[in-house]
This record gives sequence, structure tokens and C-alpha cells, in this order.
Amino acid sequence: MTDVGLSPGTGDVPGDWDYARDLVFAQPAASAVRAVLREAADTVATLLTSGPAPARLSVRAGEVAIEVSWPDRTAVPAGPAPTSTVDTMDTADTADTVAERPGPDVTVVTASTVGVFYRAPSPEADPYVREGDHVRQGQQVGIVEAMKLMIPVEADRAGTVVRILRDNGDEVEYGDALMELGAP
Amino acid sequence: MSTGRRRLSTVLIANRGEIALRVARACRASGIRVVAACSSADRDSAVTRVADRTIHIGPPKARKSYLNAPALIQAALMAGADGIHPGYGFLSEDADFADACAAAGLVFVGPPAAVMRRLGDKSTARAAMAAAGLPLLPGAVEPVPTAHEAALLATEVGYPVIIKSVAGGGGRGMRVVHHPGELADAFAETTATARALFGDGRVYVERYLANARHVEVQVLCDGHGHGVHLGVRDCSVQRRRQKLIEESPAPALPDTLIDRLTGAAVRGALATGYVGAGTFEFLVDPAGRFSFMEVNCRIQVEHPVTEMVTGIDLVSEQLRVAAGEPLGYGQEDVRFTGVAVECRVNAEDPDRDFAPAAGVLTEFVPPGGPFVRVDTHAYTGYRVPAAYDSLLAKVIVWAPGRDTALARMRHALTEFRIGGPGVHTTARYLSAVLADPRFAEARHDTHLLDDFALTTTTNDGTE
Repeated sequence: MTDVGLSPGTGDVPGDWDYARDLVFAQPAASAVRAVLREAADTVATLLTSGPAPARLSVRAGEVAIEVSWPDRTAVPAGPAPTSTVDTMDTADTADTVAERPGPDVTVVTASTVGVFYRAPSPEADPYVREGDHVRQGQQVGIVEAMKLMIPVEADRAGTVVRILRDNGDEVEYGDALMELGAP
Repeated sequence: MSTGRRRLSTVLIANRGEIALRVARACRASGIRVVAACSSADRDSAVTRVADRTIHIGPPKARKSYLNAPALIQAALMAGADGIHPGYGFLSEDADFADACAAAGLVFVGPPAAVMRRLGDKSTARAAMAAAGLPLLPGAVEPVPTAHEAALLATEVGYPVIIKSVAGGGGRGMRVVHHPGELADAFAETTATARALFGDGRVYVERYLANARHVEVQVLCDGHGHGVHLGVRDCSVQRRRQKLIEESPAPALPDTLIDRLTGAAVRGALATGYVGAGTFEFLVDPAGRFSFMEVNCRIQVEHPVTEMVTGIDLVSEQLRVAAGEPLGYGQEDVRFTGVAVECRVNAEDPDRDFAPAAGVLTEFVPPGGPFVRVDTHAYTGYRVPAAYDSLLAKVIVWAPGRDTALARMRHALTEFRIGGPGVHTTARYLSAVLADPRFAEARHDTHLLDDFALTTTTNDGTE
């Protein structure tokens, strides 16, 4: 269910305009509101039609605020992460280069954000992967949670999980090594 | 903001560069633990040597690191911080970030989110200041929705006019219009730029002052309804609306005008429930009339000149006020002594239209001596990253009078040695500006640098 509401913001409207009247030419409020609404409608349309849907969204323009929320349908985080999980520490293209290269090299899956690393979708569930498992490129192998944003950790290439370097529930920083992948 | 006291024991610095180091020093002076948040490009930055802990928050791209609110708040919570100092730029004036900090139980070192929201929107800020009795330039308080309405308004207030983004800042998202025929294009362009830069295409129109000085008032307010001003700064030396040289006090302005400016700023701050350090920017015309421009709800790059003439550590005051402490002093306790000047030394090449000239610094020897202060994160061997703004160092000098302060600054800039392959700085350009008679005699306005050529350089004692 999608819920779109429009409500006036909390900003105060100044009451004493006497001084200002001498110096400024106030515009009709209605046209300003129309402009804000147009702006807001454009923004919301863009957000609804592009990329993964956010769990909560707040659009604010001056005195008008629009909040859009998508109530959780499942407890498990859904949808792709807003940021690529194959970014490596310094250059965005390192991962691609590594993925292209054949051979027995071991590559490292790193955290794409600072947060808490989880190996399973929920405390009762089986872990996404165990050491020795084969994974395909793009397969989810964990989660890093930052401020309730569940960001999937994905294998940046096909391979075998050689070693899992961090425990479930560990705090990790951006770029921290989470697991090693070997040849498929 | 609640008026209750909240001890700050650990603060995460959500910024980089010289201001991160500046904030870290203030924290240490106040007995506060420092958590540095750094991107991949800043893992060797100076603040990490001063910090008690450094957390790697993201890749170089600011959107994924210093603008990444969830990562910053997550890092603060992981490090056990009870507050976040946002510095300037990045998220420092983002009311939603301030709200998110509060929701996570963190003290945001800055004004309350509602105040920031109201003053950050130039339309509501102008309305609030008009209501508080501050003079505005003739123009619209409300955003102007169409080019047609903008044209009617421009005719009413008289050309030239300036079209400004409601959400804008940092000198971006504005355009001067001299003739009615240019207005429709300028309106469309400013709207598009504003939408691209700030995600908000609303603009307003006001009369443009051609020969004005940029004079701003530093205010400091606690959460108990008390506020003082810490004098004025003149920031008229700008290139494409980016400040290069700032000084306090503003030279060649009558005391009565300064009293009216500072009085207006404090009135505006208290009327809007401002808390913390803030800056009220004004334009002053040659006849001594002044008009409110905008409020900056953060510490500013040029805050050191105010510190030098008042002896007040502004960042430490921010931390005290954020912890709920009362100011503990009144206006009569603030004393002003001498003149302070700041020059921004940027890693830019003046001979190539100020293109960023980043690289590794093989030589970095800042000036010194009495009353010379250098705020910088750079050092010999430092790699200036290309991902961020080009500010390399701020040179600040103090002297009893303006002439001696300017002389001291000229010598300091000459002494400053910065070198490396491909590295250029604005130091020599700044020396040339200092030597310009219009600036030296304080006859300049914000257009001083419009037609300023480096060929006017007079070299001061280097040969």
C-alpha cells in the first residue's frame, strides 16, 4: 500500500508585516503554493518511477511537507541496495577488474557501508552462505545494517566462499573485509 | 531545543579538512573525546592523528561519505558518541540531518532543526527577518513562480535585479539581470540550476546592488534566550561569489552603522529562537544603507578573524551551548581589540582560471611569527584529494591596526612555501589583491576582483 499525504509544515507564518510592506512586494500566496505543489509532484513522480522504493520519504519545500511511506510487507529487507555493493575501497573499477580476471586468485568481499554485519536474514534463519559454499556473481551473502537500512552484501564474482572473516553482529566500517572468495 | 544540560563526552566530527581539525582541537580543549569520520580519500588526514578514534565511513565521493547521513549516525552510535559536529558545508545546514541526529539520541551541534529549516529557506527567512524589523532589498518575500511574474516584479523594483534560488547557498544558484530582455532566459536558467543543485527550483527576485560591501554579523546565542554579537566581518573580496579575504572589523564603516547592523542581527536571532553560532549576512550600499541577505546556520570558514579580535573560541562556545550551558556573559563583556585578516589559500591555478590544482605536496612550510595563525590540514607529503573543495590553508593575522595587519599578511603569504608537481595555489594572487590600492584604502566593493588581473602584482620583498 502506498500512502501519499500533503500537510502544511510547522514553520511559523510571521504576523507583523507592516514593516515589510514598505520594502517588499508580497506575491499572492496561492501562486507560491501552486509552484510548491508542482515542484513536489515532480519530485514524487521521479521518486516513484525510478529506482527501488524507499521505506519512508519526506519531501519538504518551504512551509509544505510531503511524506510518503511504504509500510513493511515483510520483515526481510527487500530490493537492491541503493548503493553498489561492489565498490571497493579506493576505486570503483577495481571490483570489475578483479571479476574479469580468471584464475585462482582470492578476492575479498567488503562492507559497502559502516554498520552491523549479519550473516543471516533473521536470527532464526540459516546463514546466507557457509565456508565452502559456491556462490554466483551478484548472490547475496550477508547484510550490513546502517540506521535500519538493510544493505545486502553481494558476491562481486562467482566463486567459493573460502573464509568468513567477521562474525554475525560485528560492527564493521566501510571497506572492511567480510569474506574471501576463491575460484568457483 | 530543550534548555536542559546534556554533557557532551564524545563528539563525532562529520566533516573533513581544516575544519575537522579545528573542531577536534576545540573538543580536546573541552575534554571531549574525538571521533573522526573519514572517507577513503582522507584516511591519512590530519584529524585522524588528533582523534581518539577514526571510523571509515565511505568512498571518496561525498554523497557516499560526508553527505551520507545514515553512515555518519551509525558511526557515531558505534563509537559511543553523544553528539555530532557538522562543521561547515556538507550536512551542516541540513535540518533533516539535525532531526535524524535527535531521533538517534545525538546532540547536533547547531541550531534547532526547526530554526534551521525556517532560516535555510530564503523565502521564509526573509519573511521572518522582515517581521523582526530587518530591512530587505526591494523584491519578493515569496518565491516567484513564473517568468512573467518575475518580469512584472523586476519592472516594479527597477533593474538590475538578481534572481536567487530559495534553497541556495555558497554563492551558487543566482543570476544578475540588467535588462528586461534577459529576464526570461535568466529565470529559466536559475530555476533549472537551482533544481539541479538543491533539488528545489523555487527562486525569488530582488533589486541588485552594484556597489555594495558584504558585511556580516557573528551572533552567539544560548538555549536560554540570551544572545550576543561578536562584531562584524567584511567579506567583500570575492571572486565569483566565493570569499577570498575576510577581515574584522569592517573597515571604513561608521560606528553607528555597525551598531545598527549588530543590533539588527541579534534582534533577528532572538526573534527566531536561534541557538548556537550563526552569521547574519548584509549588503551595505555606499550611502550606508543595509539590507538583510541571509543567515548561515553554522560555523563559518572565516570565523577565526572574529576569534582573533574578541578572544572568544567560537567552536568551544558552540560545544558549550549545544550541551545546554548558558553563555554566562553579556554584550558588555565582549571586548574588541585590533584588526584581524584572513586569506584563503586554495589549491587552484590563477593562471588557468582558478582550475583546481591538486597533487602531492612535496613542500609545505606555513608562515609563523607573532600574531600569525594558520588553520590547515595539509603537511609535507599530503596528497590534496581532487574529490573535495580546494581550500588548503587559512592564514589569519592580527595587528593593532589595519595597515599593520595587511603588512603582516603580505609578509606571511610571502613566507608560505607550498610546492609539488602540478600544485598551484592562490597565494600570489592574494598578495596582489592585498597590494591593490582600492583594497588597501578600503574603497573596494564586491566587484573588486571582476576585472582584476594578476599583472597588477607588486611583489613585496621577495626579490
